[in-house]
Amino acid sequence: MLFVVFFLVAFFLIVAMTTFFQLLPDWLGQPDFLHILVVFSAYRFGWAAGLVFAFSLGWMLDVVSGLYPGTYPLQSVLVFASIKLLSENSPLKESAYQIPLVGISYFIAQMGFFFFYSMTLPGTLPPWSWNKIVQDTLILLLAAIPSFVLFGYLYDFFNKRKVIHKVISKRNANQFRRDQ
Amino acid sequence: MRKQNNPREGKKRLAVRKVVLLLVLVCCLVLFAASFGGRFGLFHQLTFESLGPAQKFFTSISSGVENIWDDYVALWNIRDENQRLHGIVDQLNGKLNEYTEAYSIYLGLIEKLKFKEKESFPSITAQVVGRDPSYWFQTIIIDRGVNDGIVKGMVARNENGVVGQVIQVSSNYAKILLANAPSSAIDAMVQKNRVRGILKGNGQHYVLYYVLKNADVAVGDRIVTAGIGGIFPSGVPLGYVSAVRKKQRGMFQEIEVSPSVDFQRIETVFVNMTEKLKWEVELQTQPLIGP
Repeated sequence: MLFVVFFLVAFFLIVAMTTFFQLLPDWLGQPDFLHILVVFSAYRFGWAAGLVFAFSLGWMLDVVSGLYPGTYPLQSVLVFASIKLLSENSPLKESAYQIPLVGISYFIAQMGFFFFYSMTLPGTLPPWSWNKIVQDTLILLLAAIPSFVLFGYLYDFFNKRKVIHKVISKRNANQFRRDQ
Repeated sequence: MRKQNNPREGKKRLAVRKVVLLLVLVCCLVLFAASFGGRFGLFHQLTFESLGPAQKFFTSISSGVENIWDDYVALWNIRDENQRLHGIVDQLNGKLNEYTEAYSIYLGLIEKLKFKEKESFPSITAQVVGRDPSYWFQTIIIDRGVNDGIVKGMVARNENGVVGQVIQVSSNYAKILLANAPSSAIDAMVQKNRVRGILKGNGQHYVLYYVLKNADVAVGDRIVTAGIGGIFPSGVPLGYVSAVRKKQRGMFQEIEVSPSVDFQRIETVFVNMTEKLKWEVELQTQPLIGP
């Protein structure tokens, strides 16, 4: 259920990012909400579900953006795995580090993306722009705060429902069981 | 005890009454005499002159009162009237917006129709349904795909010039790589002197490469397709020279070109279907290989 809900959220975000977010003025930028969602999933989802989720997001983005299929799923999975590894059993899991980590991971992901294309397919991407990337990162940081709140609310809401459902199911299952 | 009247005083009163009556009679006679024959005489005029100011005075007072009354009565309905008029203004503004929008759409369609009538290539009109959200790639998504005859490699244009090339297709949608993307390259030339070069995008505008330093290129010159390679016919607008830089080193000059197409505001494109027709012709002319 959680996976489906967040998959739908991602689907809606991709549609919004490719359509009406494009109408926003340049100074407001177009925050990469999918990156925020990948980082969020790294904090909340398990390894298996999170990897599938990150791959699905990259896959969808690959369809609507980019020239060479495969790069976005790779990027998403790498971002997910890196943050998952870093945050597991470390202070980075604390909420105080979550938002800064969104910005740092975005910046590093952009650098990695540019480096990858520069090495494999030079001349495919526009020149590196510090101004643009730093501006995008700052806007992403600002957008990450309400996004994390919203995603957190959604996660807690559906997770609670899931737990309640499990408890009820268990009770029903045990109702007529005879003790040996 | 009743008071008795003095007979002398009674006579005196009677005499005064008689005199007054006589005077009134005389006046009436004089007035009658003055008006005799329809003439507007002195007394008429005197009367007129004495009545006129009074009439004027009362008329001004009554009209003043009437105005005040009218204004007061009008105030009763002014609020309703104001609200009604505001409603009408809002309604008309809404209609005006609708008509302005419809008019601008109409103008756009007229331009597109002119373009379609003028151009000889077989084309299919497609609506832009999505744009690339990333900074790195310049692509758009259109609502036409394989089912409409779109194949990879087809060229998209609009009334302003070259838009891009189809790079990925599904049944009902296609992705177009915009001409201003760094990975696109178009054979181009300066229209005024046919000097040729390779036009490449840098994400925002174009750069015309491989134009020798001695070539006469100035700001404002029109850049069009050269027609080499068979993808574009020659003379399709690409943009205008916005800056020319000649460095001391090297053979070539750096020419910056502003695109003639506003890539941020593309709503409709025309996909050139010639490629498809070529394929069909090739398929028809090739001998069928039997089992």
